[in-house]
Amino acid sequence: MALGSEAWALRLVHTGFRMAREQGRPWVAVHVAVPGWETAGEADQARVWLQEAQDLGAETVWVRASTVSEGLIEEGGKRRVGQVVMGKNRPRGPWARLEHSRAQESIRRSLGVRIVTLPMDSPVPGGKAKPTFADRLGVVLAVGTILAMCCVFASALSVAVGFPGIPPVFVLGVGFIAHKWGRAFSVPASVAVLLLFDALFIPTRFPFQQEDWTNGVYLAGTLILVQMVVVLVDRLHQETRSLRRREAETFLLMVLGRALGRCATAKEVAAVLSERVQGLFQAKAWLLVPGPGDTWLHLPESQEVPPCPRPSDLLPQFSNATVRADPFEPLFLDASSFVALAGQGGAEGLLQLRLEAGRPFPQESWGLFQSLAVQGALALERVRWLEEAQQARLDTESERLRNTLLGAVSHDLRTPLAAIQGAATSLLLPEPLPEATRLDLLAMIRDESERLARLLSDLLDLTRLQSGGIRVQKEWQLLDEVVGSALLRLEARQGPLPIRVDLPETLPLVPLDGALMEQVLINLLGNALRHAPRSPVELRAWEEPGTVQLEITDRGPGIPAEFHQRVFDKFFRMPGDLQDGGVGLGLAICGAIVNIHGGAIWVEDRPGGGARFRVSLPLEGLPPEQFDPETCPLTLECNP
Amino acid sequence: MSQPLILIIEDEASLRRFLVPTLANHDYQVLTAATGADGLAMARSHNPDIILLDLGLPDLEGMKVLQSLRQWSRRPILIISARNQERDKVQALDLGADDYLTKPFGAEELLARIRVALRHATQVVLDAPVLQCGGLRLDLERREVSMDGVPVRLTPLEYRLLEALAQRAGKVATHAQLLNEVWGPVGAGQTHYLRIYMGTLRRKIEPDATRPRYLLTEPSIGYRLNVE
Repeated sequence: MALGSEAWALRLVHTGFRMAREQGRPWVAVHVAVPGWETAGEADQARVWLQEAQDLGAETVWVRASTVSEGLIEEGGKRRVGQVVMGKNRPRGPWARLEHSRAQESIRRSLGVRIVTLPMDSPVPGGKAKPTFADRLGVVLAVGTILAMCCVFASALSVAVGFPGIPPVFVLGVGFIAHKWGRAFSVPASVAVLLLFDALFIPTRFPFQQEDWTNGVYLAGTLILVQMVVVLVDRLHQETRSLRRREAETFLLMVLGRALGRCATAKEVAAVLSERVQGLFQAKAWLLVPGPGDTWLHLPESQEVPPCPRPSDLLPQFSNATVRADPFEPLFLDASSFVALAGQGGAEGLLQLRLEAGRPFPQESWGLFQSLAVQGALALERVRWLEEAQQARLDTESERLRNTLLGAVSHDLRTPLAAIQGAATSLLLPEPLPEATRLDLLAMIRDESERLARLLSDLLDLTRLQSGGIRVQKEWQLLDEVVGSALLRLEARQGPLPIRVDLPETLPLVPLDGALMEQVLINLLGNALRHAPRSPVELRAWEEPGTVQLEITDRGPGIPAEFHQRVFDKFFRMPGDLQDGGVGLGLAICGAIVNIHGGAIWVEDRPGGGARFRVSLPLEGLPPEQFDPETCPLTLECNP
Repeated sequence: MSQPLILIIEDEASLRRFLVPTLANHDYQVLTAATGADGLAMARSHNPDIILLDLGLPDLEGMKVLQSLRQWSRRPILIISARNQERDKVQALDLGADDYLTKPFGAEELLARIRVALRHATQVVLDAPVLQCGGLRLDLERREVSMDGVPVRLTPLEYRLLEALAQRAGKVATHAQLLNEVWGPVGAGQTHYLRIYMGTLRRKIEPDATRPRYLLTEPSIGYRLNVE
């Protein structure tokens, strides 16, 4: 694989990559630096292409040699090369063609291998078109006009100052032609000038003398000189321009690389790419990643989404690279260009590019755009790896959590089971038990199985709450009702309870999930009763702007400040907590439920001793129309 | 009255093992079916007085069994279901099931539910149009409500609501059923109406509105007028 520094060398790299992949062989990318042939900018560019080749799995070589073929022969001799791939411009003129084939011949003979040359003439569709006949005619007319004007000026000047007035006029004219249309037009123009000078000025104004010859030669010499100077200066300018452009491109790519390096998600990559493309090419760009089903996910999502073929229509055109000259070549469909963003692990996505209507893609930017696509692909790949690593870490963590859960729960499951089993087996013994003992054992079986059932449902609730398996179904309702049903459930379990409830009748409707919030109240009240058995427990609620506040207070031992946060952790039990069947899930469940309601739960020290649990529930959304039940317009014919 | 016949459609053997002796011991005749198809066949051949139906059956969905039963039978059907199936319970109740039991449940609860369901089945119309439970007395004919002998003044809608609950005394009434009976079609989906009226009704009837004894809430499902 022989590389130059031109923009099309990137296509050569990609073609080499594809050929090597198809043939399943390793490949080497070689750049032959011929001293005096390339500028520093071109050498840098060549390094970029070599880097690209290396990214695509090639071994890369940089050799210095007096000619390209010599360098290739030297490198090829070091390894067993099977095939040489070269790109070529269409040789200009017979001399270049001859030289080219001679170089190929020498490589073929020296290495004994097949040589593939790839024509690289029109690297980009939509590039500069060949000048048409009409264009040429226009230029010829323009040149003729300039010369005619020069003649008029020159003859006017020659009347005034004689011969010295003529050359500067023609020098200016020919210099302009050379600058504007190149030597192809300025050389014929010079010949025309000499002929005109010969025909118009010599016979009429000056009798043909020895002096005329000198003047003619002087004029011719000046014209040749001016053309050389103009062409040289132009070339210098061009080179400076392209050098500056490359420098700017390198800088842009560096900035892009840095911006992409900071991206952690595909969305961010898409945002960076889209912003850069907009800035560089004044075109809109989207990153396409395969979505659910046969759809594309257009990123970034904020922009309006352009029409786009389905993945099943679009992808085969990219994967079927054998029929395409270049796997990285863009596809033009539906007024958009698509470029595959291919990393080492295959295509990561597509870049869809939409230029403003009718504007062709600037040819000189094509290399830059491809580099951008390549960088985008690498960034996407990195992001994907990052996500995979993240997922792996999450999996490990949830595995660990499961183990902790099993460890913590197995003890709590076994205790009631042991009691049930013991009681049941002793009831089944042939020796009759005293009636009181029998009833006691039976009651124990009932209580322990209830405890088991509670533990199991707590566990299930918590798992589902935390995995998002429970969807909160908020309905506007009165807190009284939830409190009432929670108290009822608690009292059914434990008999009459010393709980004082203070709910003002003016409380608004609150959007909440009745069943879940009831669980919160049961857990909080249950905790208060358990830890402060002899103190009265109070439940109060009041409205604050945008929220309803609820508090449950007791006069028990309270909770030390250092545990105010941790009491809401799973399986957290306060040191010295009584072993009464709690497993440390109750408050964790409360936290999860309040959390999915968008509220907050916390615990404070109650002034004067005891714990104060606070719940704040947001009054979000539009409350249903309130009406006073007593003056409701719906009335019925009845006599209560 | 002879021993009522109970059909249990339940696939779990251990639950059947608990149900059969418990019910037999309380003077019920018991039939069991382990699948929905068997259950439907037995219901047709034996015409049981009450059916206990598990919603989670292996072959047919419990809901399908319920629908086919309701096509020809008006006998009470009690749903047995697991926790966290509130949606299914509501659907089953709206499809014509009479009440539900949530696993795990105790024998007392089971027997109470069966008693209520059977009583309703035998009293197509309340024989005496007076409902007395605890201190609450509701005279449906004279439209009078009293609590411990003290008359309670209700608005027409509150009365309609109490009446709708009394029609199913002891059984659960879903939000949708109550809304439909009290407000008619305009009430559909307006659960908050129901909650507000239930709140005012409780304040008038219950001795302690935060600890209701008569008007019980079934979270996410509906309400029940307690007659026990």
